[in-house]
Amino acid sequence: MTSVKVALQRRLAAFLSDPIEGAPEGAVAVAPATLVAAAEVLKTASEHSLPVLVWGGGTHQGIGGRVDPAIVLSTARLDSIVDWQPEDMTVVAEAGVRIADLEERLAERGQTTVLPETPGDATVGGVIAAGISGFRRLRYGPTRDRMLEVDLITGDGRAIRGGGRVVKNVTGYDLPRLATGSFGSLGLIGRVCLKLWPLPEAQRTVTLAQPQSDYGYRPLAVIEERHQVRVYLAGTSAEIEARTAELGGSHEEGWWWPDPLEGLIGLSLRIAPRLLADILEQMPSSWSYQALPGVGEVRIGVRDFDPETMSALRRWAESRGGALVLTDAPASVYSTFDAWGAVPAGMELQRRVVARFDPDRIVNPGRLPGGL
Amino acid sequence: MRVVTFVRELQDLLGEERVLADPLRRHVYGKDGGIRRGDVAVVTLPATVGEVAEIVRIASRHAIPVVPRGAGTGLAGGAVPTSPSLVVSLTRLTEIEVDVESSTAWVGAGVLNLDLSKHTAAFGLHFAPDPSSQAACTIGGNVANNSGGPHCLAEGSTVNHVLAVELVTAAGEVLMLGADAPDPVGLDLRGIVVGSEGTLGIVTRVLVKLTPNPPAARTLLAAFDRVEDAAATVSGIIAEGIVPAALEMMDQPMTIAVERFVGAGFPTDAAAVLLAEVTGHPAAVAAEAELVRAVAESNHATRIRVAADQAERDLLWKGRKAAFGAVAQLAPDYYLHDTVVPRTKLVEVLAQVYDIADRYDLAIMNVFHAGDGNLHPLMAFDASQEGVLDRVHAAADEVARVCVAAGGSLSGEHGIGLEKRDLMPLVFSEADLDAQARLVEAFDPDRLFNPDKVLPTGSRCFDMGRPVPEGIWI
Repeated sequence: MTSVKVALQRRLAAFLSDPIEGAPEGAVAVAPATLVAAAEVLKTASEHSLPVLVWGGGTHQGIGGRVDPAIVLSTARLDSIVDWQPEDMTVVAEAGVRIADLEERLAERGQTTVLPETPGDATVGGVIAAGISGFRRLRYGPTRDRMLEVDLITGDGRAIRGGGRVVKNVTGYDLPRLATGSFGSLGLIGRVCLKLWPLPEAQRTVTLAQPQSDYGYRPLAVIEERHQVRVYLAGTSAEIEARTAELGGSHEEGWWWPDPLEGLIGLSLRIAPRLLADILEQMPSSWSYQALPGVGEVRIGVRDFDPETMSALRRWAESRGGALVLTDAPASVYSTFDAWGAVPAGMELQRRVVARFDPDRIVNPGRLPGGL
Repeated sequence: MRVVTFVRELQDLLGEERVLADPLRRHVYGKDGGIRRGDVAVVTLPATVGEVAEIVRIASRHAIPVVPRGAGTGLAGGAVPTSPSLVVSLTRLTEIEVDVESSTAWVGAGVLNLDLSKHTAAFGLHFAPDPSSQAACTIGGNVANNSGGPHCLAEGSTVNHVLAVELVTAAGEVLMLGADAPDPVGLDLRGIVVGSEGTLGIVTRVLVKLTPNPPAARTLLAAFDRVEDAAATVSGIIAEGIVPAALEMMDQPMTIAVERFVGAGFPTDAAAVLLAEVTGHPAAVAAEAELVRAVAESNHATRIRVAADQAERDLLWKGRKAAFGAVAQLAPDYYLHDTVVPRTKLVEVLAQVYDIADRYDLAIMNVFHAGDGNLHPLMAFDASQEGVLDRVHAAADEVARVCVAAGGSLSGEHGIGLEKRDLMPLVFSEADLDAQARLVEAFDPDRLFNPDKVLPTGSRCFDMGRPVPEGIWI
């Protein structure tokens, strides 16, 4: 063990954690139990310009540039549901709360965050930092539309709050939305207040053999796969019966969400919804996919690394204002196939914004496009 | 001399007819829909994004503040210049380009909110945010303030419907933030520009998400003898697991004013009137309307009226949306407040609002987006009476304090502007305000755009003062 690591362990002794499964080895693992403690960790890291990798459930660590951290900050002990107001339909949760646990709790009163439906070990903070949305975004919008309030620990250890615990608010700049998909570049997302939605009286999954141009008035979610289409319905029993009759196909009660795709490499294709049908026809037959019509997102599972086809698809998407993003891959892939592809417009502005929150650029450095 | 050169440069760019510096125009553009007046040096009327960028570069060279402006319907002073400023009126940017297959549209900042929905009606689509001023307010103004409206209960405010913005920066660059593809890579700067009240740059074009027009809708009006019963109905409906398209409430003074104005048959003897709308699949709408009725009845509704047809629906909505116009009949001036509280605190806060109005001897009436706890207390007065403005401002401050104390916030949809800027420390710490000021600095280091808005003076003062490293390497 290096002397640097020993010194760091001594300095962060109060926050040390057991090794974190899946996290890069060799880094000092910490799991602060409070936001004040997390601020201490980041202050220390900032003072010495030590890169910190924030770790939730490890579910979305495959997205973005690789980080070589000196410290891995686990949110495992930031795990309380701080305040749930069922009548106001808001919930305040710390970053490390597992989405599955939160949803189980909220379901007791028929409510949901509309965060991803098959989260595995994914945490509230992780999904927000990665800007991941569930299938139900077709009806309820992406995860950023859940965000009412955020408590951030900036890279240099300041505790700041943006937004508020009300469902409609324009008081001050919208830090909660800025934090969504920020991949830690503003600092640690410590705690959030989320807007909730009621779970419907009836839930049903309709399976169709073929994609259609119209799935009826605003279904909850639609997932097109290679050999079937699933349409998810929500509402009163009367509505669901009527919609099922309109759609045809076969159906099952409840929502049956597909598991995350298997494959060596995970990709996320993001394009304007009108381009979806065309590109699905051209998808290599060995690739599996879950396409979201009306949204423009295609989750792809690739069996073997195929840089040529992947690059061609990326060029196609980027030339039409879209993107092809790596969501999961062996480490070696990232050095030959960039995690993000082309850098977006306004990269300089992004750098200036990030510098105001994390001046020493210590939280997840290099995770965002352009090495930011 | 300097101003003369400055105006000449603008005239060279836009021609004399699109650079207004006469006293009348400078007077007219010095005010928004609120009650403050500012100081305009010159007004420009660009017609292209290129012209906007060039105007910004000229203003930047002469260090003259730039205040972007839409229709001027704002109520928080967001478009009111605090020092002699260059006003950039965006009302000539009126192009609309619809992508029906993706249900999106590129919309010029100067397009009127209602014109957009009229334009897209042929495709069965509309722009969901519907502020009461929608016949007059612009999309650019909606983006600046993250405007809401009655139908934001189910659909969310403007930010939920903005996929990208074209932004002219302080350096006079044109940046495209966001995309028609979902989850654009990198930081979501579009999200921070929406609601930034013209302080981060000038939005010239907006890519909006369009919403399908509902195949069926039903509008109900319920009357109650007690405000508490109306509020309990709102909570009861939400607790049943449905989020109606809109849930609006008016108190008795407001109902009387509205009824006198539109004659829609609103029950003027009720203590509170609830306007509920359910939309969606025909099968859903029938069931949900029944549920709303049942909840209202169980909460002692004295009368329930279901709009029989589209004409009656329109009439009921006209009543609601004309509320502020109706007040003009009662007094020459009004102050329209905008605060938010957790929905469950509505009744308790409303009682305090009445009490505040009594203490300041002001006529107050209330119309609110009850479903999301968004209050709009409205004070009608005659500004020519001595001292009345001071009382109005003092009462407005107290209302804001009461709402914040109940766990609410300063504004739900009108913005902070000048009106509530100095109340920001009620909801944010020094560190919070400093972080917001730093964010503004990243976009606009010289504070060229709409200075003195949103954040109180001195927000950027907080400095952690980095502690001396304790020598962990020793």
